[in-house]
Amino acid sequence: MKKLGCLIGALGLLLVAAPAVAQPTVAVVALPPMTSPDTGTKGNESLGYAWQATQLIETDLRQTAELMPLSPNRKDYYSYPEVTAPTFSKWRDRGAKGLVTGFVQQRSDGRLTIGCYVYDVEKGRELGRIGFVATPSDMRRAAHKCSGLAYKALTGSPGMFDTRIAYVAETGPAASRVKRIAVMDSDGYNHSYATPGGTTVLTPRLSPKGQRLAYVSFDGGVPQVRVINLDSGQQHPLLPGNVMTFAPRYSPDGSQIVFSMMQGANSDIYVVGANGGLPRRLTTSPGIDTDPSFSPDGSRIVFESDRGGSQQLYVMNADGSQQRRISFGNAAYASPEWSPDGKLIAFTWRYGDARRIGVISPEGTDEKQLTAGPADEGPSWAASSRELVFQRTEGGRPGIYRVSLDGSAPRKMTIPQDGSDPNWSGTMD
Amino acid sequence: MRKQLLLIAALLATPAAAQLPGLSRRGTPAPPVVQNPLEVMRADFAAQSGGTTIYFTPGGAGLTRQAQMTLAAQAMWLRQHPFVAVRIEGRGDPTDTRDHALALGAERAAQVRDYLVLLGIPAAQVTTMTWGKERPGPPSATTTLQDLGGPPLIPAAG
Repeated sequence: MKKLGCLIGALGLLLVAAPAVAQPTVAVVALPPMTSPDTGTKGNESLGYAWQATQLIETDLRQTAELMPLSPNRKDYYSYPEVTAPTFSKWRDRGAKGLVTGFVQQRSDGRLTIGCYVYDVEKGRELGRIGFVATPSDMRRAAHKCSGLAYKALTGSPGMFDTRIAYVAETGPAASRVKRIAVMDSDGYNHSYATPGGTTVLTPRLSPKGQRLAYVSFDGGVPQVRVINLDSGQQHPLLPGNVMTFAPRYSPDGSQIVFSMMQGANSDIYVVGANGGLPRRLTTSPGIDTDPSFSPDGSRIVFESDRGGSQQLYVMNADGSQQRRISFGNAAYASPEWSPDGKLIAFTWRYGDARRIGVISPEGTDEKQLTAGPADEGPSWAASSRELVFQRTEGGRPGIYRVSLDGSAPRKMTIPQDGSDPNWSGTMD
Repeated sequence: MRKQLLLIAALLATPAAAQLPGLSRRGTPAPPVVQNPLEVMRADFAAQSGGTTIYFTPGGAGLTRQAQMTLAAQAMWLRQHPFVAVRIEGRGDPTDTRDHALALGAERAAQVRDYLVLLGIPAAQVTTMTWGKERPGPPSATTTLQDLGGPPLIPAAG
């Protein structure tokens, strides 16, 4: 029995050590159970909320490629004073680089005060704190904000925990597929459908803060961009008339939408106010120009064009000037999206029938493939700029996958049915 | 309104030709089969023009000689039926990316439309749309006679 214990102990060490060897960037994070200053019955209730919050943070951090939370132990009671004065040596011994903890306190109005603290265990100092007053039902979002604070403090990148993912939910046989726009929190909660399913819909694209959504609908007989306010449910076409418009994407400040419009046999890129207005034409080449995506500072736009004979990536200024090609491979390069930190552009690589996800710098250097296909497409960045969602089709059925820049294998996301065209929002307010 | 009435007249006049090409139905009783006149007309259009669908090479939107011959036959039929509207539905390549497939399907539909217009079909008679890769099938553009709405066209049962 004792031998077994030793063996498990050794295995545990191996498990902790292995990722550190394979991926030197993984940081172990101590996660003692969040606590409460409340006492008596109220104290037990508050500790219940605190435990829920701790588990949510654990789930959030475990989803990332950069952070590895130590499993919190509910019996590992943590006193309220320890929240602001952790025993660093204890966590240092367990290999932790960071520590996340906090408290939940009940207020007289029925709401909760939630406080979060992030520490550098090696240096023994605080990296950040954040506090919220929230109803118990909003505690999930508060916990996501705590995870985001920890991720930002320990990796330097914004977290993607309090974000939304929109995608096209697909049901039914291939010849009569029912497609609906679905929106969920990035952890899969709050899943809902934004369109009823009677008409073909494509490519939902969330506004930066996730409150609005532009998508393509065949409701009027031709593909056309429509805009939904997700809070009110109201929606309207982006442009009047019967013209074919598609491939919408919001500008980083949410004030504009860049998209493609057909004029005869020619597809060009236009920009218009997020609520409509008079579109301004940005490209004039006779071929297919589509899939525009703004740089995070709004100054440039990456798009795909077949003006040179095959689909390749181009970058231009936001006013359409200085268009120049950045990809030069034998394959086709399509559906680019600029990363939120501005450093990379994700794209779909297409050669024959094979489709894969890749990244390239805005200057056209450091090209790298992240997936092996054979039918991957439509990458969209997480707010962290370290991870992407994309569509993978297997056996004719599309699903939604996440892949990290670190080279680890893509992971399938759990959704209620088949899904395509995923799109990841920025951090919500 | 007048256009619709004329369409109804045209629709009611054609079933015989569709069912028995080259044979006159004059003097024979109407068959006791209820058929949608639009479908009957579509069948006639397909038979007379040698096909409603134009095929393209993957990635391309150029019309082959075969495509031009089919479109010439389509145009001849359409000139004989000036009150019928058609819709050209373009398809992208099944393994293309979503938005490029939409654009390519629209480009194929526009090439077909432009060729029909070149052959004398009024542009107002032809609309286009694209399915991208939303409908299974090879790279193509299909010319479909369009239901203009209005009251349903129900031929008298025998």
